[in-house]
Amino acid sequence: MNTLLTLGQFGIFAGRVVRSSFTHKLPVARTIEEAYRIGVRSLPILLVISFFVGTNLALQGYVAFRPMGAQQMLGMFVGLAGVRELAPIMVAAMVSAKAGTEMASQIAVMRIREQIDALEVMAVDPYVYLVTPRFLGIVLVLPALTIISIATLIGSAWLVTVYQLGEPGGPFLALVWNTTSGTDLMVAGIKGGLFGSFICAVSCFCGFTSPPGPAGVGRATNAAVVISAVCCAILNYFVSEVAYG
Amino acid sequence: MTDNVDIIPHQDAIIRLENVSKRFGDLIVLDDVSMSFERGRTTAIIGPSGTGKSVLLKHLVGLLQPDSGHVWIGDVDMAVANEKLKYATRRRFGMLFQDGALFDSMSAGDNVAFPLLHHTTMSAEERRAKAEEKLALVELKGLYDRPTPALSGGQRKRVGLARAIIMEPEIVLFDEPNSGLDPLTSDTIDELIGKMKAALGITFIVITHDIVSAEAIADRVGMLWKGKLVAYQETSKFVHSTDPVVKRFLERNLGHRW
Repeated sequence: MNTLLTLGQFGIFAGRVVRSSFTHKLPVARTIEEAYRIGVRSLPILLVISFFVGTNLALQGYVAFRPMGAQQMLGMFVGLAGVRELAPIMVAAMVSAKAGTEMASQIAVMRIREQIDALEVMAVDPYVYLVTPRFLGIVLVLPALTIISIATLIGSAWLVTVYQLGEPGGPFLALVWNTTSGTDLMVAGIKGGLFGSFICAVSCFCGFTSPPGPAGVGRATNAAVVISAVCCAILNYFVSEVAYG
Repeated sequence: MTDNVDIIPHQDAIIRLENVSKRFGDLIVLDDVSMSFERGRTTAIIGPSGTGKSVLLKHLVGLLQPDSGHVWIGDVDMAVANEKLKYATRRRFGMLFQDGALFDSMSAGDNVAFPLLHHTTMSAEERRAKAEEKLALVELKGLYDRPTPALSGGQRKRVGLARAIIMEPEIVLFDEPNSGLDPLTSDTIDELIGKMKAALGITFIVITHDIVSAEAIADRVGMLWKGKLVAYQETSKFVHSTDPVVKRFLERNLGHRW
């Protein structure tokens, strides 16, 4: 019953955000600010994680293929697993943990300190002021972050393949290139945009409906990251099924 | 309606509450409250904590909807108005929240200028000049660039007050303007409210549990008790009320005079 009620509240929240976004002037400056905040500030940690996921992917692929004498297939493995699946979901998890929690906690604190009420009394729509720029910012930035993550992941896998495992780099890259296509990159980008919209909607909703007090902010933040991650994982399956199934 | 609740003629009222009731779960917070607020005068609503004072205030600006009854701001009923009309009506209000509700990411002056950014076409220089003028009015001249987290409790309230009046509203609401302040700072806030009332001719509605403050600033005082309006009179009459609930509240808070 509570889940149904929350889903209903989420529907109303999403409806208000969409309606407010279409009935007000787009907050361009704040959208750029949010895109910068989410994109640029998330980049260093994303590069580090993508780099080491790429190295491990190459190592594990090598360990799995070598007994069959198929280590030259490493490029295909990295291409399929990394580009199609790992990079998008990894970026989503990272952005959810970093930007999503930040959104949820900031909005929750604003809620308990009456700043959202203050916005309403000042006749400033809080949905347009707080949610729309974050939503547009994350939807713009996540596809780009996903592509950067893919490039980093492939680069680090190539480094491990060539310099640690002693396999030739040319065939590795050729297999990555032949296995993946522009469609794969487009699907990865679409996944990024979809995940971003879910992360933003869930995190902002958790912030707006935060229970009172510091404990409430903690619960809202926790719920934001857990629900976003679960939603993205489920969504990832369905998008892959539609695109590749 | 009791003898302790004065009726204000419709033509003098800027806000009218008609039979407003509100409950949260099993808890009745407002119970059939009817009252009017006079244009250009200061009204204080007092009462112990948890009697629905802040809930009443939030009904006036449409932040809460009554379960039944009407909240008339002029000819707009905030109880049934759509979002567009509510936002338009809210532009007639300014509000000072309990903790100021300032945005910590902005400077004091940017907080004050915030409504101008959203509702006017003023240039950055014009907004700054106007915000500085309002900061001077609340005796915070020269603090435009001070980061909000560096403000003291009293300064936060005054910045909140400057923000509340920057759009030159018809009505300013105060939610516990003295809470958390020392007696001297409280007096300063009361003096500021008095000064602004004289200078700007605005309708002030003050929620407080501080009867000393209410007596100092208000023309008329109302008292909420367990969700009901038990008294609503001219301040001079109210402080000599014979109603047992009001008397007990006054004795507790103005004991030194009794």
